[in-house]
Amino acid sequence: MTTVSEGQVTSMSPEEIITLAHENHDRVSISFSGAEDVILIDMACNVVDDVQVFTLDTGRLNPETYRFIDKVREHYGVDIEILSPDGEALSRLVTDKGLFSFYKDGHEECCGIRKIAPLRDYLQTVDAWITGQRQDQSPTRADVPQQQPDTAFGTDAHAVTKYNPLANWSSTQVWDYIRENDVPYNELHDRGFQSIGCEPCTRPIGPNMHERAGRWWWEEATQRECGLHIINVKEA
Amino acid sequence: MPHITLVKKILENGEPCKKCAEVQARLEQSGQMDAIDEVLIADERDPESEGMKLAQSLQVDRAPFFVVRETPDAEPVVYTVYFKFAKEVLRNRS
Repeated sequence: MTTVSEGQVTSMSPEEIITLAHENHDRVSISFSGAEDVILIDMACNVVDDVQVFTLDTGRLNPETYRFIDKVREHYGVDIEILSPDGEALSRLVTDKGLFSFYKDGHEECCGIRKIAPLRDYLQTVDAWITGQRQDQSPTRADVPQQQPDTAFGTDAHAVTKYNPLANWSSTQVWDYIRENDVPYNELHDRGFQSIGCEPCTRPIGPNMHERAGRWWWEEATQRECGLHIINVKEA
Repeated sequence: MPHITLVKKILENGEPCKKCAEVQARLEQSGQMDAIDEVLIADERDPESEGMKLAQSLQVDRAPFFVVRETPDAEPVVYTVYFKFAKEVLRNRS
């Protein structure tokens, strides 16, 4: 497998990282959150022949995000695998604790059922996944590399590699790319939402705030990862 | 066999569009370039360039794009995404 060394990090473009992931692995899937990580799909559609995409349907996304996911599916002609939470576990949670337990108990339990468990199952079926994480998004992502072994979801029996092609890109670069390439984007961005997640746990942010400041705003900034990228917190 | 036109862009500063170059490289690597009947240049510095005129007539505002005509008289179908074009047009040909 080809890996990205320290020296290469600044010289490899996101498209090169996406290509590298597909050269290194047979089963690669792009994680799409319904936000500006859509540019990964746009890039992949130019540089690889087999574009696999998945998204986590937590059941609590904004209607705008659902519409956007469908728009992307149609625009790029890609199949987007929709991952859903386990019905029984979800029913137990909301029956026992109500529909907004995360405001009181923290988001981990809800995210665990709606996002982490479906992702864990899904990642057992692929060798690598591609994410839109960037270093400038939040303190928890400041050291995100372009390529890393996924120690949170990989196991000895099934290694998983995580590629973060946009790790070194800034928000400005992302939005320049969107504008220059007429990439469709989630209309929530026009209303001040920068990082987009579930509707009850995401709000618009003001200027000069960290991009993910609008996520789980009632919790400590260092805890604002839903668990998909928990290795950022563990390794920090 | 449909007639396929690829339109690629030259930017106002005279440089080739990066995305167009990537798509063409992909087509060449995969041997799919053989399926392209004609390549037109949309030169942003020259509104009269063939590619610019075609883009305007089809109201396409991004590049590269592909125009597919099943017959000379058929309505053109425009693809602005390489992957979608490859999946729906090229794979059906093979």
